[in-house]
Amino acid sequence: MRKLLKSLLAALGVTKVYEAQDGDEAFRLLRENQPDVVLTDLTMKPTDGIEFTRLVRLSESSPNPYVPIIMVTGHTERHRVEGARDAGVTEFLAKPITAQNLFLRIAEIVERPRPYVRCATYFGPDRRRRNDETYHGPWRRQTDAANDLEFR
Amino acid sequence: MSSRKRPPAPLPGKSVSVQPGAYPVFPSVVAMALSRAVRDPHVHAKAERVVIDSADEMRAEVLKYIDRVEAAARASDFGGIYEHAHEIRGLAGNAGLAATARIANGLCRYLDALDRASCTPEGNVVALHLDAIARAAHAEDEATRLGDAVANELAQLVDRKLAEINKPETR
Repeated sequence: MRKLLKSLLAALGVTKVYEAQDGDEAFRLLRENQPDVVLTDLTMKPTDGIEFTRLVRLSESSPNPYVPIIMVTGHTERHRVEGARDAGVTEFLAKPITAQNLFLRIAEIVERPRPYVRCATYFGPDRRRRNDETYHGPWRRQTDAANDLEFR
Repeated sequence: MSSRKRPPAPLPGKSVSVQPGAYPVFPSVVAMALSRAVRDPHVHAKAERVVIDSADEMRAEVLKYIDRVEAAARASDFGGIYEHAHEIRGLAGNAGLAATARIANGLCRYLDALDRASCTPEGNVVALHLDAIARAAHAEDEATRLGDAVANELAQLVDRKLAEINKPETR
């Protein structure tokens, strides 16, 4: 699967790719090379994609807590996907991998970078991807101040 | 990308938003090159060819994982069965083995739900899935209505079994 992804990236003109077997090696490579984008699997041993994402987002030794992370996964179980989202994954790329889907995720990251949100239990890309008209709070963000007043 | 920017400290009871630009984003030259590339029909055609050309290699990988999942089944290692079935469902789609992917996904769904409910999987449900995965992956005409029919039947079986474990006890 890594070989396929590498070939797809090469087709895009991406030539410098660093490969790791698991989250620990990936974190070491991230510190050494500071890539622009990370693609990670969810299932890896001993450090899986969720732990790795948490390391990148929250560790003091992370070289770039804002680096976009695309999680490539065949997991369809809701709790696993939500776990990855809550660790701070930027985009999901579901298997089977298609060029179209990979390119869409890359375009999303490059052309529409999302705000990052920091709260007591989370740091990562904004998980509110849509303006939900039916959402009436709680309003916890600094940018939600107007709503705070309105709904208090 | 420059990476010196650290995240803000959390505020009690509040969230802090950091807008793009306040944190390092792609340099514009790289962003423009990537934006152009992802829209270039020649790049798309080349990439689609890469995916098609990888199918045989993916199929060989699927067959390797079938050996591993069968070994895990012989050892009644349900964690191992899940792990290898998960690899199969991920690879099979790119190998052109749609029915195999669906059957492996059903098995993963079943094992995951039972694990979360702290229940032991039924051996015959697992065996039926493994048999179907092996037959489908080895079949020359995997993407037939027969493969779909087997995948549908097994999906219904999993739904029934999961409904049983989710059913509240009545006295």
